[in-house]
This record gives sequence, C-alpha cells and structure tokens, in this order.
Amino acid sequence: MSNSSAGPRTANADASAPRRNSKRPKYSKFTQQELPACKPILTPQWVISVFTIIGVIFVPIGIASLFASNKVVEIVDRYDTECIPQNMTNNKIAYIQNDTISKSCVRKLRVPKDMDQPIYVYYQLDNFYQNHRRYVKSRNDAQLRDAKKANETSGCDPEKATANGSPIVPCGLIAWSLFNDTYNFTRGNQPLVVNKTGISWKSDRDHKFGSNVFPKNFQNGTLIGGGSLDPKKPLSEQEDLIVWMRTAALPTFRKLYGKIEVDLKKNDIITVVLENNYNTYSFSGKKKLVLSTTSWLGGKNDFLGIGYLTVGGLCFFLAAVFTVVYFVKPRKLGDTSYLSWNRTGAGR
Amino acid sequence: MSGIWERARASRTLRGRDSFGSRDITSNGDRSSRTVRLGRVQPQAPSNRTIYCNDREANLPVRYKGNSISTTKYNVLTFLPKGLFEQFRRVANLYFLMISILSTTPISPVHPITNVVPLSLVLLVSLIKEAFEDWKRFQNDKSINNAPVDVLQDQKWETIPWKKLQVGDLVRVKQDGFFPADLLFLASSNPDGVCYIETANLDGETNLKIRKALERTWDYFLPEKAAEFKGEIQCEQPNNSLYTFTGNLIIENQTLPLSPNQILLRGCSLRNTEYIVGTVLFTGHETKVMMNSMNVPSKRSTLERKLDKLILALFGCLFFMCLIGAIGSGVFINRKYYYLGLSGDVEDQFNPNNRFVVTILTMFTLITLYSTIIPISLYVSIEMIKFIQCTQFINKDLNMYHIESGTPALARTSNLNEELGQVEYIFSDKTGTLTRNMMEFFKCSIGGEIYGNGVTEIERGNLERKGLKLDGANGSATAIREKGFNFDDARLMRGAWRNETNPEFCKEFFRCLAICHTVLPEGEESLEKIVYQAASPDEAALVTAAKNFGFFFYRRTPTTVIVRESHVDKMGKIQDVAYEILNVLEFNSTRKRQSVVCRYPNGRLVLYCKGADTVIYERLAYGNEDIKRITREHLEQFGSAGLRTLCLAYRELSSELYEKWNEKFILAKSSLREREKKLDEVAELIEKELVLIGCTAIEDKLQEGVPSCIETLSRAGIKIWVLTGDKMETAINIAYACNLINNDMKQFFISSDTDAVREVEDKGDPVEISRFMRDLVKKDLERCLEEAQHFFHTVTGPKLALVIDGKCLMYALDPNLRVNLLKLSLNCASVVCCRVSPLQKAQVTSLVKKGARKITLSIGDGANDVSMIQAAHVGVGISGLEGMQAVMASDFAIAQFRFLTDLLLVHGRWSYLRLCKVITYFFYKNLTFTLTQFWFTFQTGFSGQRFYDDWFQSLYNVIFTALPVIIVGLFDKDVSASLSKQNPELYKEGIRNMFFKWRVVAVWAFFSFYQSLVFYYFTAAASHNGQNSSGKTFGLWDVSTMAFTCVVVTVNLRLLMACNSITKWHSLSISGSILAWFLFIFIYSAVMTPYDRQENVYFVIYVLMSTFYFYLTLLHIPVVALLGDFIYLGLQRWFAPYDYQIIQEIHRNDLEDNRSSALLEIGNHLTQNEARSYAIAQLPRETSKHTGFAFDSPGYESFFASQQGVFVPQKPWDVARRASMRQQPRTHRS
Repeated sequence: MSNSSAGPRTANADASAPRRNSKRPKYSKFTQQELPACKPILTPQWVISVFTIIGVIFVPIGIASLFASNKVVEIVDRYDTECIPQNMTNNKIAYIQNDTISKSCVRKLRVPKDMDQPIYVYYQLDNFYQNHRRYVKSRNDAQLRDAKKANETSGCDPEKATANGSPIVPCGLIAWSLFNDTYNFTRGNQPLVVNKTGISWKSDRDHKFGSNVFPKNFQNGTLIGGGSLDPKKPLSEQEDLIVWMRTAALPTFRKLYGKIEVDLKKNDIITVVLENNYNTYSFSGKKKLVLSTTSWLGGKNDFLGIGYLTVGGLCFFLAAVFTVVYFVKPRKLGDTSYLSWNRTGAGR
Repeated sequence: MSGIWERARASRTLRGRDSFGSRDITSNGDRSSRTVRLGRVQPQAPSNRTIYCNDREANLPVRYKGNSISTTKYNVLTFLPKGLFEQFRRVANLYFLMISILSTTPISPVHPITNVVPLSLVLLVSLIKEAFEDWKRFQNDKSINNAPVDVLQDQKWETIPWKKLQVGDLVRVKQDGFFPADLLFLASSNPDGVCYIETANLDGETNLKIRKALERTWDYFLPEKAAEFKGEIQCEQPNNSLYTFTGNLIIENQTLPLSPNQILLRGCSLRNTEYIVGTVLFTGHETKVMMNSMNVPSKRSTLERKLDKLILALFGCLFFMCLIGAIGSGVFINRKYYYLGLSGDVEDQFNPNNRFVVTILTMFTLITLYSTIIPISLYVSIEMIKFIQCTQFINKDLNMYHIESGTPALARTSNLNEELGQVEYIFSDKTGTLTRNMMEFFKCSIGGEIYGNGVTEIERGNLERKGLKLDGANGSATAIREKGFNFDDARLMRGAWRNETNPEFCKEFFRCLAICHTVLPEGEESLEKIVYQAASPDEAALVTAAKNFGFFFYRRTPTTVIVRESHVDKMGKIQDVAYEILNVLEFNSTRKRQSVVCRYPNGRLVLYCKGADTVIYERLAYGNEDIKRITREHLEQFGSAGLRTLCLAYRELSSELYEKWNEKFILAKSSLREREKKLDEVAELIEKELVLIGCTAIEDKLQEGVPSCIETLSRAGIKIWVLTGDKMETAINIAYACNLINNDMKQFFISSDTDAVREVEDKGDPVEISRFMRDLVKKDLERCLEEAQHFFHTVTGPKLALVIDGKCLMYALDPNLRVNLLKLSLNCASVVCCRVSPLQKAQVTSLVKKGARKITLSIGDGANDVSMIQAAHVGVGISGLEGMQAVMASDFAIAQFRFLTDLLLVHGRWSYLRLCKVITYFFYKNLTFTLTQFWFTFQTGFSGQRFYDDWFQSLYNVIFTALPVIIVGLFDKDVSASLSKQNPELYKEGIRNMFFKWRVVAVWAFFSFYQSLVFYYFTAAASHNGQNSSGKTFGLWDVSTMAFTCVVVTVNLRLLMACNSITKWHSLSISGSILAWFLFIFIYSAVMTPYDRQENVYFVIYVLMSTFYFYLTLLHIPVVALLGDFIYLGLQRWFAPYDYQIIQEIHRNDLEDNRSSALLEIGNHLTQNEARSYAIAQLPRETSKHTGFAFDSPGYESFFASQQGVFVPQKPWDVARRASMRQQPRTHRS
C-alpha cells in the first residue's frame, strides 16, 4: 500500500503547473493602468497665465465687436399706440377688428446719422409667442414644399381646412397669422423703394417652400388671422411668408420687411405711410418699425461686444488678483503641511 | 424487471408503516439539535428516502434528480422576459419606460424617439452584459458537469461524466479527486476502512479529517466484489445541514445505523488514500454543499445608495420645475392670444376654459420634456465602467497575481468596486488568511543560550520601517528548510551541538522534542520520506526539528517511541533507542502543558514536559535562577517577534516515586465520573520540581507580506479586527506577529478563561452561568471603557487594543451591552476576537456595519467565514487554496492577504474617485442641459415647447457626451499606483467620502445652474437682431442649435478640466464627441427626410456658420461658462487642496514611474550579519508580559465541529491507537 507522502499542496502545484501560464494575466499598459498620460496641475502660474491669455484674446474681440455694433445706425419707432385714432384709444381691439376704419397712419422719422445702403427695414413684435408649442407645430412642411401634398395638413390644427373640407395651403396657425402691416417710405416727396426680395434665407426659399406650390383657400375662413397671399405667386416667392414662418425663438422678435437701397443722410426726414392692420392689441403687444444698417456682425447689438470686453477685463482683473495673492499668501507646491494627516487636529 | 418493481413497491409500503424517522432521530436527537448551520436550514420533508445501492432500475420510480447542476439565471426562452423584467425593476429604467409611453401621447412636446432611443440603447447594453455573464456561468457549470468519475458498471469501473451519475451508483474516487456527489463511504484502500478527506471546500479547514466506513462494507472494494453489493439505504431527505446525517444501511436484513462519519460530501476531496468506493446518496442540487450555496444577496455599494438619494433629489427638482411650469401655463393660457387659435373647439391641454386641466396636462408635458434631468445612461455607464474595471483591471492586475499558486485576483461581482475605496473596518479571519497554517521551528533557547538566526517578518517590518533593508535571502548555506523546519544555526546542526557549552542540556532538549508528543509517523521510515501525522502542526514541527537535530523519531508502538539518535553511533552504526512510554498526560487548554513519562533502555525514568511558560515556571524546581531568568528574557523576545513559544522541562523520577504515582494515575484513568478532572489532579502530583531545559520558538508562518500590508492599511485609516476560532493565546500571538498589537499599546482583555468562570461553569447551572457571565462582561466592559476614556481625547496617548473571546462576546453583543462594546471597540486601533463562532463573526461585522454605519470588509478563506463575508459590505475570499466556499460567497477573491493593499488602496481608491467623478459629472451635464430647457419654458408661455430638436435631446446622453465620461471612469488617475501605496493616507479621503458629499454635489449644481443661465440667456440675448451683413434674422431652431453646440462643447471641456490625467483616449473621446456632434448636425441638417419630421433644423448649421455671430458666440459662451469652474478649481487647489493634489504636486516632476519597485529600494544595504545583529539589537528589551505561548491543541483544531458533539475529532490517543493497529497484518484483503 503506498501511502502517498505528497501533501495536498505539492500535488496541486504539480497539477497546476501546465495551467499556470494560461492564468497569468498578460501585461498590457491598458490592463495595468499604465497608459501614458499628461498630468496637468492647476498651479497658480497656470491660472494666471490662462486668465491673461483669455484677457488678451477677448478684449480686442470685444472692442472690434463693439465698434462694429456702434457703427450701425438704427431708427426704432413704436407705432401701435400712436396709430390709433384718438376716439378709439380705449377700444383698440374694436378699432383693429373693424375693417371699415382706415388703418393708414403716417409717421415721420428723422435720420440721426448718415445711413449707407442697404438699409434694412424690420418690424418688431413684442409679447408675441411665436415659440408657443401650439403655434410652432401648427404647420406642415411637406405641404409647403410639394404641390402634390396639398392634402397633408396633419399638425395644422385648427387651421387645417375650410368649412367644406378642402385643405388650406399653407395650412396652420403660423401662416394664418401672417403679419400684414405695410410700410411706404418717402423722403421729402421722393418715394423710397422697398426691395422685398432676398429678405429670407436662401435655404428656406429653395428647399422649404415649393416653387410650384400656390396658396389655396388661404384666409377664406370666418376668422381672418392676418395677411393674405397672392394665390398666383408660388410660395417660394412669397418672402414675407417665408420670413414669418421661420418662427422666432423669443416672444420679442424682429423680422425683416425689406431693404431700402438708397443712402440716407443725417437729418433726413423720412415719412412712413403705414397700414396698421395687424392686431397686437388683443394681447397688448407692441409693434415697432426699425430701420437699420448692418455691419459684418449684423445689426446693432452691443451684447457680444460688452460680453467679450467684460470677460476680458474680468480675466485681467483676476490675473492681477491671483498674482497679488500669489505674492501675499504663497503656497509652496507640494507643501506637505497641507496634507490632512499632517495638519493638527486631524487625529483619530 | 418486474421483480424489482415488486420489491420497490413492497419496501415502500413497508417503509410507510415503519417509523424509521423517529427511531433514528431519537438516537441522534442530542446531536441534531445543535447543528452548525450555514444559512437557513430548509425544513425537512417528513418522509425519508430509500436508495437501492448499485441498482439503477430500482431507483428509477422515485425519479431522483440527476447530478448535473445549473447555476445560470436564464435560458434561451426566459432570457428576454426575465431579463427585461430585471431591467425594469430599476426605478430609472421604469421611469424612462413610462416617459416613453407618455411621449407617444399628444401631450408630449417631444417625439417618442427622444426617449425610446436612449432607453433601448441602455437596455440593449444591459441585456448584452447579462447574457455574457450568464454564458460564463453556463460554461462553468458545463465543465463541472462533464468532469469524469469512475462508476461501477458490469463489474468494471467505467468513466462517465459527473452529470450522468445517479443516486445509488457505486463510484470510485481516487486520491486528490473531488467527490462528485454526497456519498456513503463503503470501502477504502486503507486497511482499516478509513479515508482522509479535506473539507476545505466546505468549511475552509485544511487539516485532514478521518472518515470511517462501516466494518460490514469494507470488503466491497474491488469491482468484482463491489458488484455484489446490494444494500438499501434509508436516510433523511436532502437538507443543507453539513454536519448531520441520519440513516440506516440495510444489508442482508441487517440494519446498520449510519452517521456523518460515513458520509463524504460533494466538494470535499480525498487525501492520503489511494482510492475509496462509495455509493451515491444525494446528487446535483440536492447535495449538501449545493443546498448550502444560498443565493448570495446582491450587495449594493454605499455610493450607489447615496446615488439613489441624489436621483431622488433630482426627482424632487424635476417635480418642482414641472410645478412651476404647469402653474405658469395655467395662468398664461388666454384667448387673447388669438394667433394660438384658442377660440372654438380646443383640445384640453390649451383650453382656456379649464385652466386646471391645462395645468395638470402641462405637468405631464413638462415631465416628458425635462426627463433628461434623470441621467438615463448613468446606470449603464457605471455598470460598464465597473465591469471593465473588474474584468480588465482587477482581474488582470499583475500585482495581484500570485505566482506560486498561479491565481489572479477575481472580482466576482462588479457592484462593489468603489466600495473598496471607502472601507474603514476590515474583519479578518486568521488561519489561512493571515497565516499559512504552517508551523515552522524557527528558534530555540537551550540552557540560556539562544539559537537560530532567522529574522521574522515582523522584525523585518520593524527594520524596514526604520529605513533598513535586509537582504532577501533568509539564511546562510547551512540553513535547512523543510516543511515545519526553518532553522539556521550551524551551532546545532550536524551534531555540532556537542561542542557547545551545554551539550547535556541540548541532549535533553532534543529528547524532549523527540519523545514528548503524540505524533504518528507514516510512510517510509527514512529521514526524507517520513510523514508525521500530528493533531497539530506545532507538534509536527517540533518532531521535525528533533529529526533535523539528529533525534529521528520514526516509529511508535503502543508502548514505545523509537528514536534514531545519530550522536551515539556504535561501530559506525546509528543507534536506535527505544523509549518506553509509560504515561501520557494529555494537553488541554486548562493544563496548557503535556507530559510524557518514559523509561530509557537503561531504566532511567524521566518525565518530559512541554507547555506554556506560565505553567512550567510555576512547577520548576528551585535553583538555576540564571537560566530561568535568561530563558524568560528569551521568551519575551520570541513573543514580541511573533513567535509561538513552548517551554521544555524534564524531571528525573525515582522508580518508587513513579510507582506510587502510577497507581493513582491508573485509578484516575479508570474512574467513571469526572475522569478528566481527576486525571488533571493526578498529573498535578507529578508535574512538579521540573528542570527547565529551554524553550522553542515556532513561527506560525504568516502569509507573505502580512505585517507590512497591515501596517500600510492602518496608515490608510483602516482598522483591522481579527476574528478567529483559535484560542486566545494563539490569536494574541498572531496579532503580535501581524503588528496589530504591540507592547506600546494599551491592551484590554475581556476573557472568560478565568478561574471564577470555570468555577461557575463546573457547577453546571446554565442560568447561573449566563447570569454570572453577563455581570462579568458588563463589569469588564465598564472597566475598560472607563480606562479607555482617558485616552480618547489625547492625540499622543497610546493606541488601544481590545482582545475579547467568543463567550464574552456572546454576552457583550446583548442589546444592552452592545453600545458599550461598540464605543470601546471603535476607539481601539485593533480588536482581536478569539474563539468566535461563524455566527458571531457575522454578528460582529453587522454590529459595526449597522451600529456604527461604517463600511466594512470581511476577508477569510473558509466556510466558517462565509457568514461574515456575506454580512460585510464587501466580502473578500482567499482563493488559490482548495477552499472554495468562502470564495463562492465573496465579492472579490484574492490569493493573498497582502493583495488587499492593491485591491483597496489602488483599485478601490481609483474606483471610488472615478465613480464619484462620473456620477457628479453625469449629474452636472444633465442638470445643465435640462435647465437651459427650463429657462426657455418661461419664454414660451409655459407651453412646454421644446428648445432642442428631438434627436439632439435623445442623442445628447448616448452619443455626444457618453464616451468621454466612461473614459474618465476608466482611466482617470490622480496619483500613480505606487504613490497610492506609498501614501496610504490618501485612502482616508475615501473613508471620509470627500468626493461625494452633498457639498460637492452642491458645488456642481451651482455651476450647472450658472452655466445653464449662460447658455440660454447669452445665446438668446445675442440673437434677436439681424445676424449678418444682409440683415437676416434667426429663428427658434437657429438659436437652439447654437445653444446646443455651446452645451456640447462646454460640457465636454468641463470634463477635461475635471481630469487628473489626460491620456490620448481622453483627448480622442472628448474631441471625438464634439466632432460627432458637428458631423451629426452637418448631415442631419443637410438631409430632408420624407418621414414625419418637421424640417425645423433644415440647413440651420449652415445658416449659423455663415455668420460671425456663430463663431464669436462659440468662443464666448464656453469661456464664460467655464470661467466660474476655473476660478473655483484654482481657488480650491490654492487654499484648500485635497491630499491627492499635494501628492501630485510633490511628484509633479517624476517620470512616469510604472509601479517599479525602484522607489522602494532606497535604504542602506547591510551585510547579512550586520542586518541580523541590528535586527536583534532593535528588538524590544523592556520586560513585557507577552511571551508568545501558543499551541494548537487538538481540541481546538475543529473547534466548531467539536462544539456540535456530532463529529468528534480524533484525540491524540486515537492516533496512537491507530499506530498499534497498523502493525497488525492485514487480513481482510488479499
């Protein structure tokens, strides 16, 4: 009888010898977590230099933007309150809803500075929620794009179809509430032509609104929301509609009305004969007429310039503060007395 | 065939009337009432089972379960429904399911895809992971099920896979093989029908246990004979009690009772036995080990539970936002906004006539709109990160790969990685975890002279702490190493001791070692091949030492011990000396000593005694004070070096004295009442006037690197408790050896091992005992607490240590005393609980877990640690040895205790840091995104109009911001692994939960609030004019695309700012995400699809990019948004740096050190002798109480089993008796 003297452990070691290699994990930088890495440390030098760099970049940009914005000449005229006949100031809604009352109104604008052409004419609405959920989705892009899809009016509630069921083109609340004030400009007695082409983004014109889609049954209902469209012109040429239908992000928005392609001189008096058709009185919205030139940056907007300048300035300031702190209350890098276990009172 | 059927039926009906169960249970009643139970014991079925051995047909009608096991969660059919069900049990997933359903209704502002796409992606990833894990389980089962086993078929052993095994089969298991099922042991290749088994898989005990077959069945050994075996077994139904078994074997109308002694459980392995034959009792899932493998309750990490609170807070925030919006919408809606078409028939949501309904419906609208505030991909990202951390980092860490056993670390669950970074309390088992359970003779002191040059681990550790480096090689050329012997001193080896100053002392010393023991030699009687079977490894080590000193004990007969003494050679032949053993005075825990009376061949009568220094010194003869004093010094020296000491002494006896005493001894031995006590008293009469020879020092071999690991962990602020079943001396000794306790500490002992307790216990009144114990423990606790109070508030005071034994612990865990125990123990740097049962281990663990609300980790290797492993937050099993039970219950398995350093300080800490970062970042990015949406709501008349396009919103979480955060969760590294280990204090940041406090979350929330304002108002403010030189204006989608671009860019850059280290993957993923957004929008806005999509964003990016506004804003907004964070980070680092930041700064100029040990090599190199003398010089000189006595007495080896009274472990006498049986010729087998 052989009473094996091999202990359990040795026996096991022998048995596992051939397996051993297979169990040993293979070395790789990934599994051993030794991937080469850069280890940035946010030292005060870094903080100060980052601030300085930001300052150096931002201040010039800010100055340039502010300069561009300041170059822009802008005339803003609120006319919704002024254009109501004296006797109807207490009943604005009745005034605007009454078709028999003439909506014409004359405004006189003084040009504060020379304005180089093109001068952009905007209308600005206030408290008008073009971004309301019910409003935004009330359109059908397929219908706008494709003449064959005139019947596709899903999402257009409640301006889908006429009472007898034929589809409205363009359907939906957005189109239905098309802005319909009109402006006519004269300088002295010389009329200023407003060019209403090219006021929409080209991509909208070319792709979103079909060149063979014509308005149908538009504003035929009992309730008239706003402007009407020329049924003979394809949608792609109805630029007012195209501009209107690019719904604004905020309840206060400007939309481009047209371009005046004549230079205006300082102190010129512009006479505006406008048709005050659009009802903003119901929801007490303001209406403004804006004449503005542009710079490379666009219209008059100091926000970016001020923003850049502020941040740039703040960064310079912070860089200075950190530098002062750095000298007043320096901390040696890697000062072991900051370690929690070296600080007093950090006993058990 | 029909005959068999008849018989089966007959026996069944017979059994119905037979009240077998009750009969057998009464005979075992006292046993079964005290069962060790692992987990819940299933109620036993009332009936019993009858098994026809070696007769498959007869067993057929009962339809026993097969032996194949399956631990998978799903199969092909159930995978989808069950897996989905599991997924939707998560609140986040359920929430998104509801949101998705909600978003198909008209009240939703967003298209269903917005929520369906992320949800399906998340579900897909989770399901793939589940499937993968289940597949692995399936593979594992398959390999087990297909392991081969020999089964008797047609008088031959046939090899079949395990799964084909059936109840009643006769199987043959070879040496070192595992039992494939629960077997009834029939016959063994050993002559006396015994076999040795190792139950490491069940209870972690690596010592061998003896099982003995019924004598009646010994013959069924060879296949031809075994084929004749036709027995019928009636036994209990399968249950999960490991230590009980009741049943009868009916063989040829003879009923033989079966006991656990004949049962071989699945999972155990056969040792030191060529092979055995057994019959299958329970198979597959009905085996005891399988019934014990309870469903491990899945643990969730504390961080995740805190995350739930964060999610809850987000829900609160969501509700609040929706409420504001909903009320706003109710107020806003008005017919005056005629352009909204509100006159006439309007759907409920916008009907101004019923503002209340509008409010309610808008509430739902907004919930769908703001659903992004709950980070849907968070859970799946965390899961992915943790999964990769486990499978790629932890499992493949070469630093945690144990070369000797070829075992890599194994993360068995991927839920708890970050929990590893917050552990404050470690509960460790002793045997097999801290120690190797290998005793090695290391040093000795003979007649006042110290021998042995070794340096123990603890000394080495002390030296290294002082900056000295010892040479790795431990010992000179003369050193001899074998199992149980690690001694290096030329003065004693090869007979050189004869030239020492005190050769007579040496001779007695060696004789004492060779004679005074109960060891049984086995195997060939040669120096190299002999194997000592000892009840305790200490004894084996001592006998091995004697062998190496030239006193080779090689044979034991019932009355003699034969020693081959090389120092006396007669005519070149080594002399064999036969010492007649007259009496053996047994070792037990009260006596703490063991004596042997022997007669030399020349008639000299000597009593050799070995035992604890305290008991030996009490019994020494007068005189030789120098040796006593010096030996005591040596004892203390050994003790503080963590060695286990025994004193050796002898006494010359005159024959008159002996004879007189022997009469009393025989009387005592044959007394029927209180035999043990009387024996003790008689022993007392002769064990006196001893002459001290010296002492031995045995190293209870610690696992490699344990002291330094413990030292590192305690520097990391982790407190280590040792919970062991060993007796107090052993436990204290190990605590010394591990540096958990040292002489500088204030030590508190609460022990039941006092005379007072013994006295009360002797009276045997259980009520009285418990009352007395309770009072004692209460008093002790109060006393200790009072003393300890003095040290609580001093910073420089000594550290505290508490030692408590299991009996006292039982009372201390009483609800009334628990508070005091907790108060005391939490203030102790280390706590040692000895003689604790598995249940108490779990109780202590939950005491700290629940009572103190600290994060706990349990580490152990045996089944007695299972309950503790499961009770703790994190359970770690020691793998690589045979024991699997602990590993099966654990969350992480490592091969060595020292790997805890890597597991906790490196992997745990990183995981914690990374996950904190991931979670807070997720929180930030979703909150920021949703808040921009919220601000927009205010300017849309609270209508719930979406700011972003559907696809932007749905892809935000899953594409544009998904990958970088995962990369950070995988690769972010504040300091390198070696620095983590060099500065263990860094770990405290995790214990204090520095990176996921509400304060940290609040900072993120604040900046997210700030940034969202910047994103929304800055883009909006800059947008309402003509935007280019041709005066055209932007619409809603231009502005929102602009804002979204800024959000994506900023959020990704913010992550970069949060990184501690930036690998190429970071830069790739971050730039990739930003590029992915641009790529997406370029394509998305260029394509016009015929599907149900309003061409809102058609061409917007091109329109945007044609303006200067776009570029200026894109530069401006991220800078403004990140400026706040940047200032915060700068200030925080400058004025209140985190510890890791300081460490980063210290090592900022280090080269990329890849964990090379180079850094550790600093230090003075000493020559070996210098080092040794220095080591000795460094040893504590002051008198201490600790002298290191420890000895594993047989009674404690299987403490728990013996407590049951079920399986009585062998006594030393059994070993001796078996030795005598051995000599008998084998008659029962040819």
